[in-house]
Amino acid sequence: MTGTSLFHEQTARQRIAALVDPRSFAEMLPPPERLTSPYLAQLGIPVSFDDGVVIGKAKLGGKEIYIAAQVGQFVGGAVGEIHGAKLTGLFKAAARDQVPCVLIIESGGVRLHEGSAGEIAIAETMRAIFECRAKKVPTIAVIATDIGAYGGIGILSTCCDFRVMTEHGRLGISGPIVIEKWMGKKAYDSANRALVWKTSGGKTKYLLGDADALVHDSADAIRDAVAKLLGKSSAITLTSVKTRQKELEKRLKRFGDTADPDAVWKAMGVRDIAGASLASGPEFAAMAKRGK
Amino acid sequence: MKKPSARALFARLFGSSAKGISVEKSVLTGYAAAGGTKVCVIGTCDGTYIDNAAALRLAAHVIDCIEHHPKAPIVMLVDSAGQEPNRVAEMLGLASYFGHLLSCLELARRKGHKLITVATGQAVGGAFLCYGMFADRIYALDSASVGLMPVEAMSAVTKIPVAVLRKLSKTMPSLEFGAKPFALLGGVEEVWAAKDDVQAKLAKAIATASTEDNRAELGRKRGGRKLALDIRKKVLAASAR
Repeated sequence: MTGTSLFHEQTARQRIAALVDPRSFAEMLPPPERLTSPYLAQLGIPVSFDDGVVIGKAKLGGKEIYIAAQVGQFVGGAVGEIHGAKLTGLFKAAARDQVPCVLIIESGGVRLHEGSAGEIAIAETMRAIFECRAKKVPTIAVIATDIGAYGGIGILSTCCDFRVMTEHGRLGISGPIVIEKWMGKKAYDSANRALVWKTSGGKTKYLLGDADALVHDSADAIRDAVAKLLGKSSAITLTSVKTRQKELEKRLKRFGDTADPDAVWKAMGVRDIAGASLASGPEFAAMAKRGK
Repeated sequence: MKKPSARALFARLFGSSAKGISVEKSVLTGYAAAGGTKVCVIGTCDGTYIDNAAALRLAAHVIDCIEHHPKAPIVMLVDSAGQEPNRVAEMLGLASYFGHLLSCLELARRKGHKLITVATGQAVGGAFLCYGMFADRIYALDSASVGLMPVEAMSAVTKIPVAVLRKLSKTMPSLEFGAKPFALLGGVEEVWAAKDDVQAKLAKAIATASTEDNRAELGRKRGGRKLALDIRKKVLAASAR
């Protein structure tokens, strides 16, 4: 039992422990193996013995899973060569063993201090995710913190079969500060937290259909959502991509000129904007007529 | 050296069959020929930004190829500065649009279409990740700007002085920007020079492509990315226990 602790306040290892069956987690390449980034060392930046990602095997509801959790406190969970190789290896192991893989994301994307190596690592992990999907091995991304899934990791998260989000979670490519610099404060005030979350937060992502579940900020709720998805996979077929193409075309046509996220919420069936803003994830999900 | 026009570049790659490529708002789609076979072409030119609409147009063309030209190789040309930072694009889920494009390419791969990328201009950040880096085999012209970002940009974000990054990049090609250092990391199979017969090179690239991702092996062999393969193997060994 995890009590009342909030998932977004927990550390990566706490999150895994709270999510999986008690004492079932066995970490692979754990900190005693001292796999640290030579790039950061050369730059005189502190290293971390797990390079910012915890990976291993566990059970969830008695079912075997592979699981990874990124460490947002360490260079924003950004992906360097080792971090990325651990993820690639994990998804490759999942494909080989036909065991579902859960990725608890907390990352701004590529670790800039390591240059292109992190970028290639993300591309390699994407290929490994699709190896799983070709074998109908479920891949599930959990996005539950304000660091969220950004940059290359935002794109990578959309390669997984499913995305479980909380209202704290954010999913995107360019972050609000970058956009504010580019478009100006008038177009995007990055200090306006309501606007930031309505742009990239779990509620809007769920509403538009990019998140498959919107749940409470607790390990119990996230576990329930993940458990429901473990037996499923989202097949990539000619029919599925043609359907998705139509959905995304429709979304762009409907909202491409809509600057105001409240207008999107309204159009998607949210009647009480103020109430919906304050509602919890599951309450919001119940209020909103989620559309395609 | 003057940058060749997009059209001149297409002609170099596809000869007279390049007329089958249409360009609209710097997004290109069409069919051409390479090595005597019909190929589907998607891509970007003029270093354009790639947005939700561009991703959809590329995806639609990949779907068209799967439906109407079974097993035709797909050649992806990359000359894009990345995604334009834009709030509405983000609100509408740009990442999902890119994910959709990747899913279409994955479907094509599974249905026997070979996927070849040629980085022709800018191949940086998200624009390279959202389709070009997903190919079976990736090539780059030596004039292309390939990599995460130039050291000046890296310095601006990380606050590490340019001089320090430049010095380190001598021994760490990952920090250097360009097609050649990217190839040392295994991110590019081969860099094509201006004098090369790129039509022949492209035909050979298609003929020899394999769906096995060999980038970590290449990076280790070439010495630019020494850790990735070993770490991956360690994970695969540890999980097999």
